[in-house]
Amino acid sequence: MNNIWITTLLTIRETFSRKIFILFAGVSTLILFLLGILFVSVGVENMPLLGSNIKIDGIDMSSEISRSLKLLIISPLYGFGIFLAIFSVSSIIPQMLEKGNIDLLLSKPISRMQLILGKFFGGNIVVFLNLSYLIISLWFMIGLKFGDWDLTFLWSILIITFVFAVLYAMIIFIGVLSNSSILAMMISYIILLILSPILASREVFYNLFESDIAKTLIDGLYYLIPKTAELSSLISEINVGMGIEDFQPLLTSFAFLILNLALSIIIFNKRDY
Amino acid sequence: MNAIEVNNLTKIYNPNSKNSVTALKDFSLSVESGKIFGLLGPNGAGKTTLVKVLLGIVFANSGEAKILGEDIGNYNIRSRIGYLPENHKFPNYLTGEDTLKYYAKLSGYTNSDLDQRINELLALVKMNKWRKTKVKKYSKGMLQRIGLAQALVHNPDLVFLDEPTDGVDPIGRKEIRDILLNIKSEGKTIFVNSHLLSEVELISDRVAILNNGELIKEGSVEEFTTQKEVYEVKVNKSFDSELIADIMREYEVFEIKSDSFRIKIKEESDLDKITDKLREHDLGIRNLNNIKTSLEDIFINLINKN
Repeated sequence: MNNIWITTLLTIRETFSRKIFILFAGVSTLILFLLGILFVSVGVENMPLLGSNIKIDGIDMSSEISRSLKLLIISPLYGFGIFLAIFSVSSIIPQMLEKGNIDLLLSKPISRMQLILGKFFGGNIVVFLNLSYLIISLWFMIGLKFGDWDLTFLWSILIITFVFAVLYAMIIFIGVLSNSSILAMMISYIILLILSPILASREVFYNLFESDIAKTLIDGLYYLIPKTAELSSLISEINVGMGIEDFQPLLTSFAFLILNLALSIIIFNKRDY
Repeated sequence: MNAIEVNNLTKIYNPNSKNSVTALKDFSLSVESGKIFGLLGPNGAGKTTLVKVLLGIVFANSGEAKILGEDIGNYNIRSRIGYLPENHKFPNYLTGEDTLKYYAKLSGYTNSDLDQRINELLALVKMNKWRKTKVKKYSKGMLQRIGLAQALVHNPDLVFLDEPTDGVDPIGRKEIRDILLNIKSEGKTIFVNSHLLSEVELISDRVAILNNGELIKEGSVEEFTTQKEVYEVKVNKSFDSELIADIMREYEVFEIKSDSFRIKIKEESDLDKITDKLREHDLGIRNLNNIKTSLEDIFINLINKN
């Protein structure tokens, strides 16, 4: 356990040394700064619906607008956060496997499994910290402005980190298998931006295929691929107070994470470097 | 006790492919604790593969090996091992000092005296001045120095060094040799892979020559470089050709000068016979030396024969 922790800490340090994470934090700060200016410059007195507990048909308009604002922020934040995080970590494994570096790492009293897990946890902690900084700050600013201190917004941190963790496990697997950061990035983006959204609405495409085998294959692919699109919707649903109705996207994505990590460890354990 | 025990190790890269390469063939070797052991061989001989197998970087197809009495599969034993790979690559965002801290932690060194140990090592490898400089700005020689410090930072009992003086200037090489001899005096075992035969000759207690994955010869440096059967004979005055002709009837004589020659004998008692012959010709012996050959000559001869 101690070895995993040491490798995790060293991975955190390694990721902080990358300028992309400074960019991540910088862009987050810029978003907060711009929103802060907006909140300060547009006073409550200029927004008659806000801060005055005006109710229409029994609905508190202040909290409704604050909720809409959160939903407006969280969707682009999800896409932007995952996109940048994937970009930031895709080279961690290929860099670890570089000749001259991997020899040194493997000669240390750390098992190969501990190395992979350390890299995995390190990357996730950094993304979690970055997201926490941005989302907690946003929640705090919205709370100050609209008096809406609903904690459900903070679930976004965990869900976005979870989606990242699922894709990062796959990035590690592709990195170990191919030693290519570009391939890992490409496949992650294809799943995030194309495959997962298409498969999430696969019923629409069923009519295009007459064969049951094709439908079964699409279903199989759907259950295999991480459900990034549905997890994005899940964040919105939680924020509007719907809660989690279907755990399947979470569970199958988690299974994908475990499968990728396990395969990474098995392959890494057998490879010569 | 032996620090390293290797028995019948075989390593074949891509064993099921047409391009399979046999890096080690049924290789066996023992390295005594507290000694400096030099492994020599041409490029592709299997030297680096052997070290990588011992450190768990590469897996052997068959055979077994132990390091410091433990099976090489037990990764915990590596906390007592230091390693400087050839063409090592340190994280380029780290300074020299941070590099040592980084690898000390990875090596499981948790002692509170780490800072003091790093200070000592930086002074030892003469890198104190550049301790706060990022390693990406280091020259090849500086990287080797910090690499050596990295291999020693956790105070290991056994150190593997792959081309430790590569890219280091002659003064630096001398300093590295002195450091290695100093470590040896502390009872540590050092395993050196090198192309620089003269370097190995200067520091090693024992040497092995590896070619095409096979051990050609192993022994002490003395055994390697001393040609037991060849002597140089120097006399107190010029001798005549009749004497040489007489000796040449029984022995192989070469490098004949006016007052010296070299002779290849079959057994030690031959020396007495030659001495008698010289005295018969009223010649006094000034010098009778067993001829030594450089490790480089021996190496080239062995590799060519192989």
